Amino acid sequence: MKALQWLGVNKLAVGNVPDPELRNPGDMIVKVTRTVTCGSDLHLLGGYIPFMQKGDVLGHEFLGEVVEVGPDVRRHRVGDRVVVSSFIACGSCWYCDQKLYSLCDNGNTNPAITETLWGQAPSGCYGYSHAMGGNAGSHAEYIRVPFADVGAFTIPDEVSDERAVFASDSASTGWMGADLGGVQPGDVVAVWGAGAVGQMAARAAVLLGANRVIVIDRLDNRLHQVEKHIGAETLNYESTDVAAELRERSGGRGPDVCIEAVGMEAHSPGLQFGYDQLKQQLRMQTDRPVAVRDAIHACRKGGSVFVLGVFAGFVDKFPLGALMNKGLTVRGAQMHGQRYIPMLLQRMAKGELTTEHLATHVMPLDSAPEGYRIFKEKEDGCVRAVFLP
Amino acid sequence: MAFLIVVPIAAGAAIVARKRRSARAGDGGHRHVVTVYRPLPELESAPLPGSLKEIADRVEVQLRAAPGDRGTEIAVRIPEGSDVTSGEVRRALRETRSLLEAGDVLLPYGPATTVPTLWNRPLQAATRRGREGGLL
Repeated sequence: MKALQWLGVNKLAVGNVPDPELRNPGDMIVKVTRTVTCGSDLHLLGGYIPFMQKGDVLGHEFLGEVVEVGPDVRRHRVGDRVVVSSFIACGSCWYCDQKLYSLCDNGNTNPAITETLWGQAPSGCYGYSHAMGGNAGSHAEYIRVPFADVGAFTIPDEVSDERAVFASDSASTGWMGADLGGVQPGDVVAVWGAGAVGQMAARAAVLLGANRVIVIDRLDNRLHQVEKHIGAETLNYESTDVAAELRERSGGRGPDVCIEAVGMEAHSPGLQFGYDQLKQQLRMQTDRPVAVRDAIHACRKGGSVFVLGVFAGFVDKFPLGALMNKGLTVRGAQMHGQRYIPMLLQRMAKGELTTEHLATHVMPLDSAPEGYRIFKEKEDGCVRAVFLP
Repeated sequence: MAFLIVVPIAAGAAIVARKRRSARAGDGGHRHVVTVYRPLPELESAPLPGSLKEIADRVEVQLRAAPGDRGTEIAVRIPEGSDVTSGEVRRALRETRSLLEAGDVLLPYGPATTVPTLWNRPLQAATRRGREGGLL
């Protein structure tokens, strides 16, 4: 089958790879019909998450049609149209029982790497390095879906592929940030990053009853999307004093909930970016935490900061003093998609959550290397490139 | 590019170093423990499944109820003179937990889409023993 393969730092190509096989009785094979680029893929592409091997297949946000099921699969049949959570979970361990699916104890076949790095291992993810299980990703014609009864969800007829595909990761990640960040009716919520995940976090905050939701970015096309499709306010950090604006818009208190949806390759104006960029290039820190720092400084006393952006290791100049003295709660997670996808599909069916605008560039899988180039360079207003295998 | 080479090697070296430290310390003093989300009476009612059963006569296995309704703690100690390694115990505990909780042990993706290169040898070595390393 055809698949988009990682061949080295900033080297991608569409090649032929063996078709996936059922390996466990709870597996199924899905024919991928839509698969999406993600900002976190750029960390793999750029070599910032160094657990890739030549030939790995990228992609973790997708939907498709079931073409083969293992003997233990009960909830799905051949022909079902399904959207799949990007993280793999067994559904039976203590973490799954707490609905913390990306922390599943049984979904990562390589727990030693992340256990050694971080103390404990998160679960596995599609197309996201051998630290996350080495599972082939979705930028391919077919994909193996383990624990299929837990991680795949039949899409209601009234929800289009174009809309449903973002339930796989962007919408569920964004919703998690607002939900576990503790957004309450009446809150002021600030979201750093107007990419797909940031937009979905902002929409979740709106739907959860926040009084004001403010999204921060530097790209005007994305901020226009926020105003038009999400119903939130915007700030361009290149032309505004964000901290002052947030204080003003929150009555001097600071936002109640700050959601960081940027990750380890954050940009910022001024010296801070140069400092972080230099240290990251010299490998003196693995991640550029600009947006996390800003969120912690901006947050009101006793407020909540949720880190949705992907980070790999260690950061410098972490404002621990502000965190401690302001009594903040800081939390983060990989996405617990199984917890949110059924609800999100219902909201998509009702029209409360629309996502089609995120797919700014739709193209065949053969064009995926060019799609990633456009996505990485943010050319032509690209928010997400979607591939059709 | 250097990062791609250095970090997997460093991670591999850390895993090897930890293994050696563990071996030098004498595994007899260290228990490997997992918590399985199944009740103690259920685990006591039948032999433990999977590869833990295969090494059970060469290690000491203890079961006790985990606090907070979190299931059962399985602790394994390798006695002096046993030929069982820490890696074998880690693998056995992880596989047994998965069998008890999920009814199956997730197999790695296959067939592989990757090709061996000089640069990914350390990572391939680490993933070949993905369930044997770590801190468990």
